[in-house]
Amino acid sequence: MLLSFVQWLQFTGFFTALRGSAYAYPIVMSLHMVGIALFGGMVMLTDLRLLGWSMRKHSIADVVNQFRVPKRWGLLLTVTCGFLMFGSKAEEYYYNAFFRTKLILLTLVLVQELVFYRSVYADPAALDRAPAIPVNAKLAAALSLLLWTSIACCGRGIGYIEPPLDKIHAQMLPHSGYEGEIALCFSSRPTP
Amino acid sequence: MLLIQTNAIADALNSSEWVFPIAECFHITAFAWSIGLIAAVDYRLLGFGIQHSKPSEVLRATAPWTLLGLAVVLLSGPLLFLSDARMYLHNPSFVFKMYALALAIIFNYTIHRKIAQSDTASPGVRVVVAVVSLALWISVVFGGLFIAFA
Repeated sequence: MLLSFVQWLQFTGFFTALRGSAYAYPIVMSLHMVGIALFGGMVMLTDLRLLGWSMRKHSIADVVNQFRVPKRWGLLLTVTCGFLMFGSKAEEYYYNAFFRTKLILLTLVLVQELVFYRSVYADPAALDRAPAIPVNAKLAAALSLLLWTSIACCGRGIGYIEPPLDKIHAQMLPHSGYEGEIALCFSSRPTP
Repeated sequence: MLLIQTNAIADALNSSEWVFPIAECFHITAFAWSIGLIAAVDYRLLGFGIQHSKPSEVLRATAPWTLLGLAVVLLSGPLLFLSDARMYLHNPSFVFKMYALALAIIFNYTIHRKIAQSDTASPGVRVVVAVVSLALWISVVFGGLFIAFA
């Protein structure tokens, strides 16, 4: 079921075109990295503040609340580009162990956010009023740092796994040379 | 001559299949870290981000962490480079990235720092400096990614 979905997705006109374009794919990947820097950097900043390691002159509420909107834009850019990358080679990603691990870790981030939402993220001003930064907030920050760093590393790991060529129906192979072209290696719809 | 000498280092780096990916993970995590923190200062200069604090305060709070991130980037980067120096030197994206990186670092520690430290700079100057800073760092990221596609 999931497999037929990813096969359908990558053969939609949009993703077929994206896969075939010489420049669209690397540009999308670059923007994914830019998003990581804009989002990831802000996440670390927030986490370091919650741990009490940096920006101690600035209240936790200031750091958490005022970077919330820029963080969301960064996340939106990262996720959008990530989905575009996934869609163009959906079948290949489906088989990729690092991609699967990454999705599991992303789910864990969501769980982390939900678990600590009430005690940490919903009312950061309360953390400022506490005599010391509550253990809960520090734990949330440490988990966030660990999870996001692992997610970035898993993302990089995706590129290291050779796709199972006998199973996938569309693949991109970079040409040798400096043209920056990407060839469609073999691109045929799977027979139902 | 330089390339011959680096062959021994490349062999050492390539002797384990884990050295390159691990160096890459450090490189990626640390670049996100440092560029994100520089962006935090840029956001403040642009008028969003921590508005209750002056730009100089945001700069002072983030600067040591930015430097730490850049140090990790600049230690892991040469490891990646030395694993295949010849390829990188002939890669136009890599060459572009090095120029952009040099400009970005120089800009960051001269004009960018000066404007962020002076809380009296005019809004127009602040916006220009923030936009140039973001554009330089984004072009470094693009240059880095396009190495694999050049």
